[in-house]
Amino acid sequence: MKLVGIVGSNADKSYNRLLLQFIKRQFNQLFELDIVEITDVPLFNQSNDQTNSEPIQRIKNKILQADGVIIATPEHNHTIPAGLKSLLEWLSFNIHPLENKPVMIVGASYFSQGSSRAQLHLRQILDAPGVNAIVMPGNEFLLGNVKEAFDENENLKDQGTVDFLESCLKKFLRFIQVVSVLEEPKKAQPEPEDLYATGKIDTTVEGVDMYADDWLEQAAEKVNAVEGDTYVKLDRGLLTVDQLNMFLASMPLELTYADNNNQFLYYNRTMPAEEMLASRTPGQVGNPLAKCHPESKHNNVSWVIQQLRSGAMDVFRVNVPTHGPDKYVVHNYQAMHDKDGNYAGINEYILDLQPVIDWYLEQTGQKLVGDVDAVSSATKKGANEEVDAVSSATKKDTVDAVSSASIKG
Amino acid sequence: MKKFVGLVGTNSEQSTNRMLLQYMKHHFSGEADIEVVEIKDIPVFNKPEDKQIPEEVQVIADKIEAADGVIISTPEYDHAVPAALINALNWLSYGIYPFVDKPVMITGASYGTLGSSRAQAHLRQILDAPELKARIMPSSEFLLSHSLQAFDEDVNLKDQEQVDKLDGLFKDFLTFVAITNQMNHNHEQNKKDAANFSWEAN
Repeated sequence: MKLVGIVGSNADKSYNRLLLQFIKRQFNQLFELDIVEITDVPLFNQSNDQTNSEPIQRIKNKILQADGVIIATPEHNHTIPAGLKSLLEWLSFNIHPLENKPVMIVGASYFSQGSSRAQLHLRQILDAPGVNAIVMPGNEFLLGNVKEAFDENENLKDQGTVDFLESCLKKFLRFIQVVSVLEEPKKAQPEPEDLYATGKIDTTVEGVDMYADDWLEQAAEKVNAVEGDTYVKLDRGLLTVDQLNMFLASMPLELTYADNNNQFLYYNRTMPAEEMLASRTPGQVGNPLAKCHPESKHNNVSWVIQQLRSGAMDVFRVNVPTHGPDKYVVHNYQAMHDKDGNYAGINEYILDLQPVIDWYLEQTGQKLVGDVDAVSSATKKGANEEVDAVSSATKKDTVDAVSSASIKG
Repeated sequence: MKKFVGLVGTNSEQSTNRMLLQYMKHHFSGEADIEVVEIKDIPVFNKPEDKQIPEEVQVIADKIEAADGVIISTPEYDHAVPAALINALNWLSYGIYPFVDKPVMITGASYGTLGSSRAQAHLRQILDAPELKARIMPSSEFLLSHSLQAFDEDVNLKDQEQVDKLDGLFKDFLTFVAITNQMNHNHEQNKKDAANFSWEAN
């Protein structure tokens, strides 16, 4: 479970920030909490639309990719601080990332009131049609007298308070499940995917025929690409292009890179096409994704990309059962994001899980028994299905795959 | 003649709340001197440790100190007061206390039917906080709904019923200011409470 925690204060020192940091540490077994700061959010002004500014987009992306949001609010002037209100106004003006998002409110304050009035206002604000969040009822967590609440390691001192916080958070996790039942399945973006990659992104190499067998050679020349023993600085490391190639070729997976513009740019060629789990040929590099799949399957390919691009899913996994009973081949379509959380393309990695499972069983002395033996039965059941994972995922199957893969991220 | 500050509750360039205050300034020019004051250029409040108030805020604080009362006209964003107005009020109660015991009249305009009713209710609660402690005129409400259609080209309110209501409320406000001036027995204590209010990290 992935949650976002919004620090409702933009002050250098904030007990609400401490509270979220404590929640992140204390309950890291229950969920992953990404703490978001509002410090650089500009003051909302409807005459100066800054929806596309970096801080707003960054927070929007994080919220879209999270299962739920925890907001920690201080109380200034009997209400929420201007900075937090400003963020919520941006997030209800031209974009609405909080729509149908489960939200839990907590708050810390210096006085005994513990931000009680601010929390009530915040509920009303989150309920406004432009925001449309789904706020968990009850379970008010008000942390008063904060100056005395934390010990020197910034942990909450009072065990009763920690227990209550834990019960509220556990209820929130269940609340998220309840909300997911209320909601219809998330709709993918209405516009169809441009599988022919007719658009252009910053990294698109223009003026080279994408369909050409020697696209790689032409494009590399065009951009003066480095190769061989030239060093490339990576995050975090320094390798030559040769070293990088060796490294990627030694991966026990088949890796494929398709960019944000739906152009197939790379695969870690480890063996001839006919020996691969999913065949790729050198001439395919540079092709738009439309060329990599038969036209009859374009709708399914589009659907998967829409899920990843919209953030409805981080990864789409599907087993391709055409490799016989000795293999359990899984295609993973993993969304990639830049450091600001913008969708950047797909990392498709394909591997056979069977050797991993066998190794695990051998090492631990365990056995697969009865119903748990999903592996072999799944293999048998689907033995006659089609080769390509995306293609074989018909609309209906895809939806099933989604719900069964609800462990998401 | 009484001097009032008319505080525009938004930083938007297009604002029917600004129009409403401009109308009041003009319409009540025989009875009071209303200065329309903007909150547009105030930086985001971030509780600086040095308690340094931006100059734009100090200018507004001085105007409020010098005035007999304040008229705040607020839009409604997301069922509440706009961030820009909260921002101004955060600064105007951070180590300076121009609102303590200051008579305040609240008005509001909205494009829709509700005329900023929820924002006005919030604003009353906000102004009641110890660090603001304004004297809000009770049991009165001026909600201007469908505000885009409410004014003619000379920025006059078109609907006579609305004009009559505003006239009555404004007369009440003049009376309220006079009464409030007598309700000053606790003024020093209120100032002290405001100053004692701790903005320490929360």
